[in-house]
Amino acid sequence: MSTASAAGIQVFGIRHLSPGGAWHLLRELERVQPTAVLVEGPSDATGEIRHLVRKDTKPPVAILAYTEQVPVRTVLWPFASYSPEFAALQWAHRHGAEASFIDLPSSVTLALQAREMEAKRPGKAETEVTPPMAEPERPASGGAGGSHPPRSEGSVPAGGSQAVIEAPGGEAVGADPAPAVPDDAPEANEGHLYDRIAELAGEPDYDTYWERHYEHNLSPDAYRLTLSEHSRSLRELTVEGERMRSVQAFAHNAVRESYMKRNIQAAIDAGHEPGRIVVVCGAYHAEALETTDGAMTDKELAALPQAVVRQTLMPYSYYRLSSLSGYGAGNHAPGYYELMWNSMRAGALEELPYVYLTGVAAQLRASGTFRSTAEVIEAVRMARSLAALHDGSQPAHADLRDAAKTLLGRGELSVVAEALAQQDIGTGIGRLAKGVSQTPVQDDLNRQLKQLKLEKYRTAVAQELTLDLRENRRVVSEAAAYLDLNRSFLLHRLSLIGISLAKPRRSAQQDASWAEQWVLQWTPEAEIETVEASLMGETVEVAAARTLSQQLAACDSIAEASALIRIACLCGLASQLQASQTTLDHLAADSRDVVQLAAAVSELSRVLAYGDVRRLDTTPLLPLLDKLFTRASLYLVEASGCNDEAATAMTEAISSLHAAAQEHAEELDEALWLERLGELSSRDDRNPRLSGLACAILMERGVLSAAACEQEVSRRLSPGIPADLGAGWFEGLAQRNRYALVSRTALWEQLNAYLAALEQEQFARALVFLRRAFSVFSPREKAMVAEVLGELWGIGGEQASELLSGEMSEQEQQQIEELNEFDFEDF
Amino acid sequence: MTTKQETVQDTLRQPSELLYHQELEALKAADTGKVPAGWQMSPKAVLTFITGGEAGGVAITPKYIGNKRLVEMAIATLVTDRALLLIGEPGTAKSWLSENLTAAIYGNSGLVVQGTAGTTEEQVRYSWNYAMLLANGPSPEALVKSPIMRAMEAGGIARFEEISRCASEVQDALISILSEKTIAVAELGQDVSARKGFSIIATANTRDRGVNDMSAALKRRFNIIVLPSPADVETEIEIVRKRVGEIAAQYDLQAAVPGDEALRKVVTIFRELRSGVSLDKKEKIKSPGGAISTAEAISLLTGSMALAASFGDGELRDADLAAGLQGAIVKDDDKDRLVWQEYIANVMKKRGETWRGLYNACQELNS
Repeated sequence: MSTASAAGIQVFGIRHLSPGGAWHLLRELERVQPTAVLVEGPSDATGEIRHLVRKDTKPPVAILAYTEQVPVRTVLWPFASYSPEFAALQWAHRHGAEASFIDLPSSVTLALQAREMEAKRPGKAETEVTPPMAEPERPASGGAGGSHPPRSEGSVPAGGSQAVIEAPGGEAVGADPAPAVPDDAPEANEGHLYDRIAELAGEPDYDTYWERHYEHNLSPDAYRLTLSEHSRSLRELTVEGERMRSVQAFAHNAVRESYMKRNIQAAIDAGHEPGRIVVVCGAYHAEALETTDGAMTDKELAALPQAVVRQTLMPYSYYRLSSLSGYGAGNHAPGYYELMWNSMRAGALEELPYVYLTGVAAQLRASGTFRSTAEVIEAVRMARSLAALHDGSQPAHADLRDAAKTLLGRGELSVVAEALAQQDIGTGIGRLAKGVSQTPVQDDLNRQLKQLKLEKYRTAVAQELTLDLRENRRVVSEAAAYLDLNRSFLLHRLSLIGISLAKPRRSAQQDASWAEQWVLQWTPEAEIETVEASLMGETVEVAAARTLSQQLAACDSIAEASALIRIACLCGLASQLQASQTTLDHLAADSRDVVQLAAAVSELSRVLAYGDVRRLDTTPLLPLLDKLFTRASLYLVEASGCNDEAATAMTEAISSLHAAAQEHAEELDEALWLERLGELSSRDDRNPRLSGLACAILMERGVLSAAACEQEVSRRLSPGIPADLGAGWFEGLAQRNRYALVSRTALWEQLNAYLAALEQEQFARALVFLRRAFSVFSPREKAMVAEVLGELWGIGGEQASELLSGEMSEQEQQQIEELNEFDFEDF
Repeated sequence: MTTKQETVQDTLRQPSELLYHQELEALKAADTGKVPAGWQMSPKAVLTFITGGEAGGVAITPKYIGNKRLVEMAIATLVTDRALLLIGEPGTAKSWLSENLTAAIYGNSGLVVQGTAGTTEEQVRYSWNYAMLLANGPSPEALVKSPIMRAMEAGGIARFEEISRCASEVQDALISILSEKTIAVAELGQDVSARKGFSIIATANTRDRGVNDMSAALKRRFNIIVLPSPADVETEIEIVRKRVGEIAAQYDLQAAVPGDEALRKVVTIFRELRSGVSLDKKEKIKSPGGAISTAEAISLLTGSMALAASFGDGELRDADLAAGLQGAIVKDDDKDRLVWQEYIANVMKKRGETWRGLYNACQELNS
């Protein structure tokens, strides 16, 4: 390999995501008319280029590479319409030039990333191996802002992962001409470097400096020459520090450059005239790539680690593009840069301020805040004079924003903040041409979305969707009749797998049976999660079923298992219904925990009651329900011997068991249930509140005759019974069916007599229970009680009501407060 | 020194253009930028004057510390001959900025309309010398021009202080002035048109919001810039130190300028009471009803210095500071006294040895 032949290669250093760079690069390509265009990007994704340049591919899109094994590691290379790389690829496509990516293949990048993580976290390997569903990865701020290739994400649990992820992002610091300022500490010095540059130039921040000096300058060659000088000196300033601080990052860069040289040499060897090869890379690498000296040898290449990876193209969003980068390579405002790119291509960059500010005003008007054209004109004038203060040829983004704030927001940023966000970032998402390489799950999801007419929800803006699961009888085909039901199955399956495309919204209806509300929003993360789901199966349904069976295998409580039964039902996974039933059966076999059993019973009862709305055959669940219910009935009395705190959970358990008993009266043994309740009601050694509740239920069911009831009341409230037993029992009694209670005058007479017979100290105790019992009564019910008591006391209902519901005097207030600190001593 | 300047030394408070006469001359001499019509220096030189720097070997002291970008926005507004409205909490240097901008751009910061509830439309437009009016009828000699009218004739900048204190109809008199840039004197059948360079810098107080809210029509004619409270403790200490030093020199206070420690304590107390949370954000603090601005911290410190000079030994003691704090924080409301008491007991007491002296002094005064 002769190095002399490398002379004359056209290396064009750019900043990633820079419209100015794209503009200049296109001119350079026109001038050179290359036969080969080599772009910094994963060489094993060269095959994706033909999809990238297709007419119906609409950026922003990204190349996603992922490992096939758990833990899934992913790397992203996003492209916007104004990415110089994207522009170069399109140019090559139009002019029939050969285009290829020349950076390290993603298989090596991911393998290096994995190795680095292990190195950095010795002994912590356990925590790293997270199942893909449990810990869906987010594209973390992939290292240096400008380190566009590649954005990498590790499968590390959130938090503390930044430093780990940063290095494989490769270009670490200053790697790019862009202000590659990572957030983590070691490189903080370079962060200051960019601040210093901005300060020396008198600009508020580096982005403004960059825009003013590089994006706005459209004179020929200006971009390439100034930028190469700029990054040459930056590299000189930072390279030593990098070598010292982060050997790995330094070495990583060296490996990448050496590999790129190898590919350049390969292009020369393939017969391309060196003068007609254009290399497009981050300006940081531009100088190094001017010669192919030190190209990687075969032996060195073989020594690099390899991971098994696959690639796919995926739509990307401007939102993600902006939030990914933090300090970003000029992509803090992708929407703005797209406007800039459009203006440049129209040859009217100077019109950008009008376009931008008019857009902001239009957004404001659309949201109901009127701003006149005159104000837009003044805002443009102000932005211009701000630019003039910095000797700029035209307003930069910061100038436009400040002008918008002053004129359109009348000084308040909050007025224009939303409109600015719309304009700067926008809600745009990319689109791929049909049939472009995708994983089977992505294909399956797309097909189902289309089939279920959900495609219009595939936007970056959150949209609500209300489903009616009942059969639609006005349509002919079965698919149409159960459209909403099938949608519900799909959405439930997605949330089971952990694809965050749809979030359920709490419905206004309790125990929602046939109505469901969802919020749908597409994000690049959802796309990544979909790709990850391919590990679980080829289709959404298979992946959901496998996820569920994994969860079943891991579950170890009755409540969890019964929740999984419900999920299986919601997802329409009949096969899993059987499996989860078995799991629950095993778990319940030797449980005596009535609270847990009751929770399971109530879940099952709900599934059984509403199962047919989902067209599921739930009858196999009946025996299990019966078994659980019987067991809960049998242990009821035993479990009711508990303290007041545990009684709260038991109260709920009893109520839900009773609800189930009534719901499935035919299938369940209600007689047994009532018998056990009767036992509980008559026992004096159980928690009095639960006994009271049992009594109330029996009264309600008419099992206890009026006479028996009065007997019971007088027994429980007879003088001499300690206050916490008597009043506690009454509290339990008052928990249900209050009208029936209020209407029984005899009961109140007894309560009245009981209270009157209590001693001062005992009375205070009773008061604590009674206050709690009556606190849940509605005002109307209280008035009714007052009326009854008024009659009893012979003072008439109205007066009693006034007395009881009037304002408390200060003295009474104080007495009540003393009650709050009442000491139960032995209790 | 000329006699003019000597007499100036006697005045209680010098306008900015005299106070910083040397700096302005140096800036003008060293100015290379393009000077807009009606201005006496280029926008960049104005920026240097306000935010500090150096011109022709003369150091330019910063007049507005903190947010340089806001100053750029204010200057950019005035370049486009738009009127400027500065809004902010009391004591965020609105008037100070407006005076210095006017001094730098026009060289005369004295054309001021002070907005009060009693400000009339005549004070905004023009009024008459009634003796002459009665004797000779309407004539140019009998016309008494408002500061705004004089600024229009001279192509200069007029200042309108506390614009939101004026009645709405008075405010609205500005609408035609700002859009037509003329004042019609109907009695004389004349129009007074503004020359190039004319503009208005108005200030308004956010605490006055809702009293005499500015009409949308008027707001539309201003570029509005909101001046924030100083962003962090260091900035605020810097501001206080600089202004206290300047005022002490100007009033010839015979007391030592307060040390860093005293400055930090006062600024800390003020910031905590203002924001309702301790500086380390760990503790919630009640805020008093009145405004507690940077400007008040400055006057508190100069007041304490005067106390120390007149009744003490010229050294600023904790007792002097405590007296100042008491006056600044507890205005007239009894509630403020409780708030202050709570602060002393809950926050100041825990601050340790360095705060002990001040704590004792405050405790004594407020009990």
